[in-house]
Amino acid sequence: MKKTLALALSLLLVLALAACGGGDSSSGAPASTPAAADSTAEPASTGDDDTPASSELNIYMWQQYISDSLIADFEAANNCKINLSYMSDNADAITKLTAGGGQDYDLIMTCDAYMESLVAGGYVQEIDFSAIPNASNINEAYWTAKEYCVPYLMNYIYIVYNSETCPVEITGYNDLIDPALKGQITTIDGARNLFPIALIALGYDPNSTEESEIAEAYEWLVKFNENVVSYGSTEQNLTNGTASVALTYDGNVSWAMAELGENNTLKIADFKEDAVQLGFDLYVIPTGAKHIDLAEKFLNYICDPEVMAKNLEEYPYSCPNDAAVAAASESYQNDPARDFAYKENVFFQEDVGEALTIYNDYYQKLKVGG
Amino acid sequence: MSGKTKAKRPGPGMRRRNLRRNTLPALAQAGPVSVWMIVFVTLPTLFIIYISFMSRGVFGDVVYEFSLESYQTLLDATYFKVILKSLRVAVFTTMACLVIGYPFAYYIARKPREQASRLIMLIMIPFWTNSLMRLNSWLLLFQTSGPVNNFLQWAGLTDSPITFIYTDGLVALGMVTNMLPFAVLPLYSTIEKLEKSLLEASSDLGASPAKTFMRITLPLTFPGIFSAIILTFIPALGIYTVSDILGGGKVLYIGNIIKNQFGQIRNWPLGAALSVLLLAITALLIFIYTRFAKLEDMEVV
Repeated sequence: MKKTLALALSLLLVLALAACGGGDSSSGAPASTPAAADSTAEPASTGDDDTPASSELNIYMWQQYISDSLIADFEAANNCKINLSYMSDNADAITKLTAGGGQDYDLIMTCDAYMESLVAGGYVQEIDFSAIPNASNINEAYWTAKEYCVPYLMNYIYIVYNSETCPVEITGYNDLIDPALKGQITTIDGARNLFPIALIALGYDPNSTEESEIAEAYEWLVKFNENVVSYGSTEQNLTNGTASVALTYDGNVSWAMAELGENNTLKIADFKEDAVQLGFDLYVIPTGAKHIDLAEKFLNYICDPEVMAKNLEEYPYSCPNDAAVAAASESYQNDPARDFAYKENVFFQEDVGEALTIYNDYYQKLKVGG
Repeated sequence: MSGKTKAKRPGPGMRRRNLRRNTLPALAQAGPVSVWMIVFVTLPTLFIIYISFMSRGVFGDVVYEFSLESYQTLLDATYFKVILKSLRVAVFTTMACLVIGYPFAYYIARKPREQASRLIMLIMIPFWTNSLMRLNSWLLLFQTSGPVNNFLQWAGLTDSPITFIYTDGLVALGMVTNMLPFAVLPLYSTIEKLEKSLLEASSDLGASPAKTFMRITLPLTFPGIFSAIILTFIPALGIYTVSDILGGGKVLYIGNIIKNQFGQIRNWPLGAALSVLLLAITALLIFIYTRFAKLEDMEVV
């Protein structure tokens, strides 16, 4: 009995191994032929109009950042399927891009700070703007690496506080390390979001690459960290009263204010001198993308003022598309979350090169509480 | 050389028969599992160890160049503190799960079979939902304007809302509730097997209930306790979702640090080195444990 069982098992094993081996050798050849066929067909499909249009578009971007109906309308109009995958961190997009993102995605969202490195590394493809006439709606002032990306939405990272519960009036970053605010602040996370505010508070370049300055910024952030109750979930923490001060994006404040409605006591800090960060989220086409025709159509579509205006109603972030802002609803244009005077006093996140590791090391130390 | 001559002595026919009689069946029985383990456990672990000795690139990529940098970073006092903190929390979680889980399992095991299975079911039901969902409901319950605070204020127990969320206390609560079933199930299965006659004999011979428990019940259910400890301690040491969600990014344990290295901070070699360290700590603890308990005693449901 035992012997037959063993025999049966050994037979199974041999079969399984054979199947594996056989599968490997037999699938190896056919698998490579479609790939080869693909790669020969692709250049044709981008240059030649005779080949059938792509029926699939793969996008990698932030979650909760684009209207579902916008996606559905595009799918219906172009008879295609859009596959959205979501990142949880800017670093994820960089990982995808540097690891040959074109294999899996046709459009990847990233932000202005990384464009220089991405272009230099050859990870993104030049975009043919003759196929995207609507791109002319985008304000040139908000456009870095113009040949390689299409800006989507943008975010001010500013301070907002609850005028009733916050014990101090905030007019600059240095007010945030006031011990009176202990356990009162909720903030977005990330080394390159936190360190610049400390550097500005100390009077340095927000994109400093000097280790001594970053070290000083770290000391400042240790005091700031004392006052932080939570990293992330800023919107909820503001509305449910967990925190009275937030360092966050204008779009999230817009939601928080809308949720509080009549009882809105949130006030955008009246900054006097300190600059606030302005960041863009933009779409790039990764090198080797397979459905460029559709990607270009999609980019043209989201740059359409009417389409973007509708999207802004659902996702009330700042937008570099001037025509779309003009076409947007009253409520978007009069949004209290964007009603502040220092919109011009901004700084951008720049590529800091090798200094990034210094930032990351201090950031780690900050979070661990060293 | 000697091995070669030894193998020759039984003759080629004998060897073939040995192969057919012993080696093949053994290979067949252990083969699939071994292949599975090698592909999905051994190789990834070796890769992690390999990565931990590499260096990191500026852009967060792994540069395949030998370096001990990651291990040198580990010597930094900050990481030592985190590991100590994580160990403390894991020990606390394990102890709490045992203290709560043992009487609980005991109570269930003494019930008639049908009732017992229903009670076990009650433990399992929360696990039908995603653990992230359960963690977020803790947040909703305890948030500043949540039901718990509202009740406390309504009852006049406190004037202003208490900050429960994003504290070590709530993280500990989340850990215990998350791990409890892993303690209760093995405990239940050993306690259930306990012969009632032994307890009766003990009390017939004049032992007090306390003595019976200490001298009979506890030693006999030790295998269950052992596996409960292993099953709660190891995940509690590495888990990061609980502290991520309930700690608001301020309460960091070794699991969070590892996760950050592979995500935000993008220092894979350091993340790998931390994982290796975690592996070593776990292995060491299990080794120490096996000095006291036989590994075969371990009972996993």
